[in-house]
Amino acid sequence: MTLNGIGVVAALATFLGVWVGHVAVRKVEYRAPDLRAPMLVALIIGLALEVVALSSTSLYLSGACGILGMTAWFDAAEFRRQFKRVKKGHAPANPNNPRHAPLLTEGKATTIDLLKREPMGQVITYKEQAA
Amino acid sequence: MNLFGLALGLAALLIIGLGLVWVIRGEYTLGYLWWPYVMGLGGALICVSLFFTSDWLSALIGVLGASLVWGSTELKEQAVRAELGWYRFNPNPKPQPPFVEIIKKIKAPHL
Repeated sequence: MTLNGIGVVAALATFLGVWVGHVAVRKVEYRAPDLRAPMLVALIIGLALEVVALSSTSLYLSGACGILGMTAWFDAAEFRRQFKRVKKGHAPANPNNPRHAPLLTEGKATTIDLLKREPMGQVITYKEQAA
Repeated sequence: MNLFGLALGLAALLIIGLGLVWVIRGEYTLGYLWWPYVMGLGGALICVSLFFTSDWLSALIGVLGASLVWGSTELKEQAVRAELGWYRFNPNPKPQPPFVEIIKKIKAPHL
Protein backbone atom coordinates (compact mmCIF):
# COMPACT_ATOMS: atom_id res chain seq x y z
CA MET A 1 0.00 0.00 0.00
CA THR A 2 1.36 3.41 -0.98
CA LEU A 3 1.02 6.19 1.55
CA ASN A 4 -0.21 9.59 0.34
CA GLY A 5 1.98 12.34 1.82
CA ILE A 6 -0.01 15.36 0.58
CA GLY A 7 -2.10 15.43 3.77
CA VAL A 8 1.01 15.63 5.97
CA VAL A 9 2.53 18.32 3.72
CA ALA A 10 -0.73 20.32 3.85
CA ALA A 11 -0.88 19.89 7.63
CA LEU A 12 2.71 21.08 8.10
CA ALA A 13 2.15 24.09 5.82
CA THR A 14 -1.05 25.00 7.68
CA PHE A 15 0.48 24.71 11.14
CA LEU A 16 3.72 26.49 10.18
CA GLY A 17 1.81 29.25 8.34
CA VAL A 18 -0.47 29.89 11.30
CA TRP A 19 2.33 29.65 13.87
CA VAL A 20 4.87 31.85 12.10
CA GLY A 21 2.17 34.33 11.05
CA HIS A 22 0.70 34.52 14.55
CA VAL A 23 4.08 35.21 16.18
CA ALA A 24 5.40 37.51 13.41
CA VAL A 25 2.29 39.71 13.33
CA ARG A 26 2.45 40.29 17.09
CA LYS A 27 6.21 40.99 17.12
CA VAL A 28 6.26 43.22 14.02
CA GLU A 29 3.14 45.19 15.02
CA TYR A 30 4.71 45.79 18.44
CA ARG A 31 7.87 47.32 16.92
CA ALA A 32 6.89 48.83 13.54
CA PRO A 33 6.26 52.60 13.61
CA ASP A 34 4.25 52.30 10.36
CA LEU A 35 2.22 49.21 9.40
CA ARG A 36 2.12 49.88 5.65
CA ALA A 37 5.60 48.44 4.97
CA PRO A 38 5.06 45.08 6.77
CA MET A 39 1.59 44.78 5.20
CA LEU A 40 3.10 45.30 1.75
CA VAL A 41 5.85 42.76 2.45
CA ALA A 42 3.26 40.17 3.56
CA LEU A 43 1.19 40.83 0.41
CA ILE A 44 4.26 40.42 -1.83
CA ILE A 45 5.34 37.21 -0.04
CA GLY A 46 1.78 35.86 -0.43
CA LEU A 47 1.72 36.78 -4.12
CA ALA A 48 5.11 35.16 -4.78
CA LEU A 49 4.00 31.96 -3.02
CA GLU A 50 0.74 31.82 -4.98
CA VAL A 51 2.63 32.32 -8.27
CA VAL A 52 4.85 29.34 -7.33
CA ALA A 53 1.72 27.35 -6.38
CA LEU A 54 0.10 28.08 -9.75
CA SER A 55 3.17 27.37 -11.83
CA SER A 56 4.48 24.26 -10.05
CA THR A 57 3.85 20.83 -11.49
CA SER A 58 4.57 19.23 -8.09
CA LEU A 59 1.41 18.60 -6.09
CA TYR A 60 3.32 18.91 -2.81
CA LEU A 61 4.98 22.23 -3.68
CA SER A 62 1.78 23.66 -5.13
CA GLY A 63 -0.22 22.64 -2.05
CA ALA A 64 2.30 23.93 0.48
CA CYS A 65 2.85 27.25 -1.34
CA GLY A 66 -0.88 27.73 -1.87
CA ILE A 67 -1.55 27.39 1.87
CA LEU A 68 1.46 29.48 2.95
CA GLY A 69 0.56 32.21 0.44
CA MET A 70 -3.00 32.45 1.76
CA THR A 71 -1.80 32.66 5.37
CA ALA A 72 0.64 35.45 4.34
CA TRP A 73 -2.27 37.40 2.80
CA PHE A 74 -4.32 36.78 5.92
CA ASP A 75 -1.41 38.09 8.04
CA ALA A 76 -1.29 41.29 5.95
CA ALA A 77 -4.81 42.03 7.20
CA GLU A 78 -3.95 40.79 10.71
CA PHE A 79 -1.52 43.71 11.26
CA ARG A 80 -4.45 46.16 11.44
CA ARG A 81 -6.53 43.81 13.60
CA GLN A 82 -3.59 43.44 16.00
CA PHE A 83 -3.33 47.25 16.27
CA LYS A 84 -7.07 47.34 17.09
CA ARG A 85 -6.38 44.82 19.89
CA VAL A 86 -3.65 47.13 21.24
CA LYS A 87 -6.09 50.09 21.09
CA LYS A 88 -8.62 48.11 23.16
CA GLY A 89 -5.97 46.98 25.65
CA HIS A 90 -6.30 43.37 24.52
CA ALA A 91 -2.64 43.21 23.43
CA PRO A 92 0.39 44.88 25.01
CA ALA A 93 1.43 48.31 23.73
CA ASN A 94 5.05 49.34 23.23
CA PRO A 95 5.90 52.68 24.92
CA ASN A 96 8.75 53.17 22.43
CA ASN A 97 6.46 52.80 19.41
CA PRO A 98 5.09 56.18 18.16
CA ARG A 99 1.77 54.52 17.22
CA HIS A 100 1.33 53.08 20.70
CA ALA A 101 2.80 55.84 22.91
CA PRO A 102 -0.20 58.27 22.58
CA LEU A 103 -2.60 55.42 23.45
CA LEU A 104 -0.66 54.75 26.63
CA THR A 105 -0.59 58.47 27.52
CA GLU A 106 -4.38 58.63 27.08
CA GLY A 107 -4.77 55.52 29.25
CA LYS A 108 -6.45 53.58 26.42
CA ALA A 109 -3.81 50.85 26.16
CA THR A 110 -1.69 48.77 28.49
CA THR A 111 1.86 47.39 28.46
CA ILE A 112 0.71 44.24 30.27
CA ASP A 113 0.09 41.04 28.32
CA LEU A 114 -3.17 40.07 30.02
CA LEU A 115 -3.25 36.66 28.35
CA LYS A 116 0.07 35.56 29.80
CA ARG A 117 -1.30 33.61 32.76
CA GLU A 118 -3.10 30.41 33.61
CA PRO A 119 -6.94 30.38 33.66
CA MET A 120 -8.43 30.77 37.15
CA GLY A 121 -11.95 29.52 36.51
CA GLN A 122 -13.63 32.80 37.45
CA VAL A 123 -14.27 36.22 35.96
CA ILE A 124 -11.42 38.57 36.76
CA THR A 125 -11.34 42.26 35.86
CA TYR A 126 -8.41 44.00 34.26
CA LYS A 127 -7.77 45.99 37.46
CA GLU A 128 -7.79 42.83 39.59
CA GLN A 129 -5.31 41.17 37.28
CA ALA A 130 -3.07 44.24 36.99
CA ALA A 131 -2.97 44.41 40.80
CA MET B 1 -1.43 26.27 -14.59
CA ASN B 2 -1.87 24.20 -11.43
CA LEU B 3 -4.91 25.39 -9.45
CA PHE B 4 -4.52 22.76 -6.71
CA GLY B 5 -2.40 24.93 -4.37
CA LEU B 6 -4.53 28.07 -4.73
CA ALA B 7 -7.76 26.16 -4.13
CA LEU B 8 -6.23 24.24 -1.21
CA GLY B 9 -5.02 27.54 0.27
CA LEU B 10 -8.57 28.95 0.12
CA ALA B 11 -9.95 25.78 1.70
CA ALA B 12 -7.28 25.97 4.43
CA LEU B 13 -8.26 29.59 5.16
CA LEU B 14 -11.90 28.50 5.53
CA ILE B 15 -10.98 25.60 7.84
CA ILE B 16 -8.75 27.87 9.97
CA GLY B 17 -11.63 30.39 10.12
CA LEU B 18 -13.96 27.65 11.36
CA GLY B 19 -11.27 26.87 13.94
CA LEU B 20 -11.82 30.28 15.53
CA VAL B 21 -15.51 29.42 15.95
CA TRP B 22 -15.05 25.95 17.47
CA VAL B 23 -12.31 27.19 19.84
CA ILE B 24 -14.73 29.79 21.29
CA ARG B 25 -17.64 27.33 21.52
CA GLY B 26 -15.48 24.43 22.68
CA GLU B 27 -13.90 26.40 25.49
CA TYR B 28 -17.32 27.74 26.56
CA THR B 29 -18.90 24.29 26.66
CA LEU B 30 -16.07 21.95 27.67
CA GLY B 31 -13.32 24.18 29.06
CA TYR B 32 -9.66 24.35 28.11
CA LEU B 33 -8.59 21.18 29.94
CA TRP B 34 -9.67 19.05 26.98
CA TRP B 35 -6.71 20.39 24.96
CA PRO B 36 -4.66 17.10 24.93
CA TYR B 37 -7.62 15.22 23.41
CA VAL B 38 -8.14 17.88 20.74
CA MET B 39 -4.41 17.82 19.98
CA GLY B 40 -4.44 14.01 19.84
CA LEU B 41 -7.45 14.02 17.48
CA GLY B 42 -5.64 16.49 15.23
CA GLY B 43 -2.51 14.32 15.19
CA ALA B 44 -4.61 11.22 14.48
CA LEU B 45 -6.32 12.93 11.53
CA ILE B 46 -2.93 13.90 10.08
CA CYS B 47 -1.84 10.24 10.33
CA VAL B 48 -5.14 9.04 8.80
CA SER B 49 -4.61 11.43 5.85
CA LEU B 50 -1.72 9.19 4.75
CA PHE B 51 -4.15 6.42 3.84
CA PHE B 52 -6.45 8.34 1.46
CA THR B 53 -5.82 7.74 -2.24
CA SER B 54 -7.62 10.96 -3.19
CA ASP B 55 -5.15 13.87 -3.01
CA TRP B 56 -7.92 16.35 -2.23
CA LEU B 57 -9.34 14.27 0.61
CA SER B 58 -5.88 13.60 2.06
CA ALA B 59 -4.94 17.29 1.91
CA LEU B 60 -8.21 18.49 3.46
CA ILE B 61 -8.00 15.93 6.28
CA GLY B 62 -4.39 17.04 6.86
CA VAL B 63 -5.40 20.71 7.05
CA LEU B 64 -8.28 19.83 9.38
CA GLY B 65 -5.86 17.90 11.61
CA ALA B 66 -3.42 20.81 11.71
CA SER B 67 -6.22 23.26 12.56
CA LEU B 68 -7.24 20.99 15.47
CA VAL B 69 -3.64 20.91 16.75
CA TRP B 70 -3.47 24.71 16.45
CA GLY B 71 -6.88 25.12 18.10
CA SER B 72 -5.81 22.95 21.02
CA THR B 73 -3.05 25.50 21.74
CA GLU B 74 -5.61 28.35 21.66
CA LEU B 75 -7.99 26.90 24.25
CA LYS B 76 -6.05 28.13 27.28
CA GLU B 77 -5.82 31.72 26.00
CA GLN B 78 -9.51 31.59 25.09
CA ALA B 79 -10.31 30.61 28.69
CA VAL B 80 -8.37 33.68 29.91
CA ARG B 81 -10.14 35.91 27.35
CA ALA B 82 -13.50 34.71 28.70
CA GLU B 83 -12.39 35.35 32.28
CA LEU B 84 -11.41 38.90 31.29
CA GLY B 85 -14.89 39.48 29.84
CA TRP B 86 -13.74 39.73 26.22
CA TYR B 87 -15.92 36.71 25.43
CA ARG B 88 -18.95 35.16 27.15
CA PHE B 89 -17.91 33.40 30.37
CA ASN B 90 -19.62 30.12 31.27
CA PRO B 91 -20.12 30.04 35.06
CA ASN B 92 -21.57 26.50 35.03
CA PRO B 93 -19.39 23.50 35.94
CA LYS B 94 -17.75 22.06 32.85
CA PRO B 95 -17.35 18.33 32.10
CA GLN B 96 -13.96 17.15 33.31
CA PRO B 97 -11.84 15.22 30.80
CA PRO B 98 -10.45 11.78 31.67
CA PHE B 99 -7.14 12.02 33.59
CA VAL B 100 -7.91 15.64 34.49
CA GLU B 101 -5.52 15.67 37.45
CA ILE B 102 -2.59 14.67 35.22
CA ILE B 103 -3.62 17.26 32.59
CA LYS B 104 -3.71 20.00 35.24
CA LYS B 105 -0.04 19.28 36.03
CA ILE B 106 0.99 19.83 32.39
CA LYS B 107 1.40 23.41 31.22
CA ALA B 108 -1.10 23.93 28.40
CA PRO B 109 0.79 24.94 25.25
CA HIS B 110 0.14 28.10 23.27
CA LEU B 111 1.80 29.57 20.22
